[in-house]
Amino acid sequence: MAYGERFFQPCLKTALALAFVLFSTSLAGCISEAEAIPAFARKYEVNCHVCHTRQPRLNPFGEQFLENGYQMPGTEDGGIVAKLKYGDLTLDQVSNYLGVLFATTGIEHTELKREIEGSGDQTELGSPTILRLFTAGTITNNVGFFVETTTIFGRSSELELGRAFVTLNNLGGMNWGHLRVGRFDPSAYFSMARGRPQFVPIGPKLAPPFGAFSTPTVNRWSLTQSAYASKFYGLFNRSRTAIQPYDSTLFNSPEEVGIDIHGRPFGDWFLYQVGVLNGGNERAGDSNNSKDWYVMTRFDYAQSHDFSANLSGFAYFGNHNAKVSTNADVSRSRYGVGARMRYKWLDIYGAYTIDRVTDLPSGMESTFDSTATGVTVEAHAMVTDRLLLGTRYDHLDAGGLLATRKSATFVGVQAKYYLRSNMAFTVRDDFNVRNVEGGTSAARNLRNRFSVDLSIVF
Amino acid sequence: MNIFMKRFGWALLMLGMAQPAFGGSEMTSLNMVEDGRTIYERSCLICHGASGKGDGPAAFYNAAFSASRARDFTVGNYKFRSTVSGSLPVDQDLFRTVTDGIPGSMPSFSGLSIEQRWQVVAYIKTFYSGFQEETPESISLNGSPIPSTAASIQRGKALFEEMDCASCHGKQARGDGSVALAGELKDSRGLLISPNDLTNRTGWKNGTTVRDMVRTLFTGLDGTPMPSYESQLAGHKEDAWHLANYILSLSHHE
Repeated sequence: MAYGERFFQPCLKTALALAFVLFSTSLAGCISEAEAIPAFARKYEVNCHVCHTRQPRLNPFGEQFLENGYQMPGTEDGGIVAKLKYGDLTLDQVSNYLGVLFATTGIEHTELKREIEGSGDQTELGSPTILRLFTAGTITNNVGFFVETTTIFGRSSELELGRAFVTLNNLGGMNWGHLRVGRFDPSAYFSMARGRPQFVPIGPKLAPPFGAFSTPTVNRWSLTQSAYASKFYGLFNRSRTAIQPYDSTLFNSPEEVGIDIHGRPFGDWFLYQVGVLNGGNERAGDSNNSKDWYVMTRFDYAQSHDFSANLSGFAYFGNHNAKVSTNADVSRSRYGVGARMRYKWLDIYGAYTIDRVTDLPSGMESTFDSTATGVTVEAHAMVTDRLLLGTRYDHLDAGGLLATRKSATFVGVQAKYYLRSNMAFTVRDDFNVRNVEGGTSAARNLRNRFSVDLSIVF
Repeated sequence: MNIFMKRFGWALLMLGMAQPAFGGSEMTSLNMVEDGRTIYERSCLICHGASGKGDGPAAFYNAAFSASRARDFTVGNYKFRSTVSGSLPVDQDLFRTVTDGIPGSMPSFSGLSIEQRWQVVAYIKTFYSGFQEETPESISLNGSPIPSTAASIQRGKALFEEMDCASCHGKQARGDGSVALAGELKDSRGLLISPNDLTNRTGWKNGTTVRDMVRTLFTGLDGTPMPSYESQLAGHKEDAWHLANYILSLSHHE
């Protein structure tokens, strides 16, 4: 069946999409009086676009606000410095420090090659729903903080701690050094920050076997940025749980415990970043005393004509941060470049990374490819004041166990319609560029995924 | 230097600046401009651009499809002034905007010290040569505010209708007048612009006090469709206070 036929055939899918849009539009009408805006915008009484090209992507002003530890560029923000009594605290003051993200996939339809047990074409409603709470701001001059908790209903009803860190800013002088301590996303200042995608990562569907040195069956391949993926088949973390090749890891982990410093001591054209992490992408801590470390530099170009561009490069040196099935420690490292260009409504960004595994046990070299690469390129453009069109290309040249590894290439297209600046519908389709192959490879069995999503930030 | 003495010295310098554009010694002015340039490049350039044309790399996103985009400092056209329409602002006007920001569009830069804000004002003025040729003066607001009595508000309401404020701001003053709804209001860059919702003070860009409102009536907002009503109010300036009292009565404010 041709791709176009597969896309348009399901009448049920279309009907459900229309129903979801109508329902949500009526919902939006009900809450339109609330004029909900996120916490930083509330605190500084500005609209979202002062910092974002379109949420969640930052514009150059937003990037400098982030770099300065949630303070206006070139300033020191005192935050709430006086101790407030309970009765003096107003709802406005609380809301200036609290934000909420709510996202739900209203309709999701995936087409799979029916050769893996338990998998096949699926249409789902209302899953998953993400609720994220965060509080952030400044405590006093040059001291900032960020804490977030996330609940993904359907996977767990519990709040999970995400990023949580303190920033000490402008050490040694304005923009010389900003220190982060805690759990943070190392790539936050990279040209293509992992955590601010217009194409939200799509989680996998896993089936047994689970357990130590077991590799779960992947019924549905996860759609994440290939440049930031683990890329290797046959690796495990120190809890002996499989590291899936699509998991975001190393410099591009969602959150890692560590300490880093960044700054622009020579002016706005150059940014440095150096950090040390526990490494291994382990949320439960690190029993290994060896640490990973990284260095990143970024060059920014253009200061006028509604144009900006930057180029970044990083090197992440892993140190015994993974295991193979023999329980031997190996070291994973990553080297990457990224770039971003913005001109008026057009925003293009991408990254290319090379991952290497070293310290392999003797005898594995012939069965394990120790080099893998990934590339992700994404672009979006506002075509009206409410409609954002985007596309993303992902290519993962997998490494790891030669017997099981499979490379993957996906293209996504997306239309995002903003009912308000903080509320958007997304219609998205991701399709497998490669020919579908038989066998048990999830990377090749996911043919197409279509979804309608709703996200609200306030 | 003792910090108190430093601030005292700075206050003296500001007093000197209250007269012509740059007052004080030439060297002091040059130092101020140079220090202001450093601050501008850190804090303002991102939106206003290296050459002050309002075309910094972040400017477009704040107002891609409608006003208000970052100010172009090279043409000498300023919205928020205490001077007559068509004139340049006085230093205090620029300082007020840097300090308070503009709700919705520009954050407050009160995180800069007072000294730094004056320095950046000095640098901003270098983008337009007119600041060296003109000596703008603030207009007189004609005495003290008139108490907001029922009679004053009633008179203000009548003026609101007589002066046809509703054509832009709407009969209920919610910014939904017929001209606005028709999409006919544009700023000097040709971007669609919305009249203020006068029932919600959080969005008022030129201040929320009765004096701010009267000042706006007299000066207008250059570069926008909001004109100066100085000529209409000439001879009976007390009407401006009545109109301001009426507009302020439309919104609740603590």
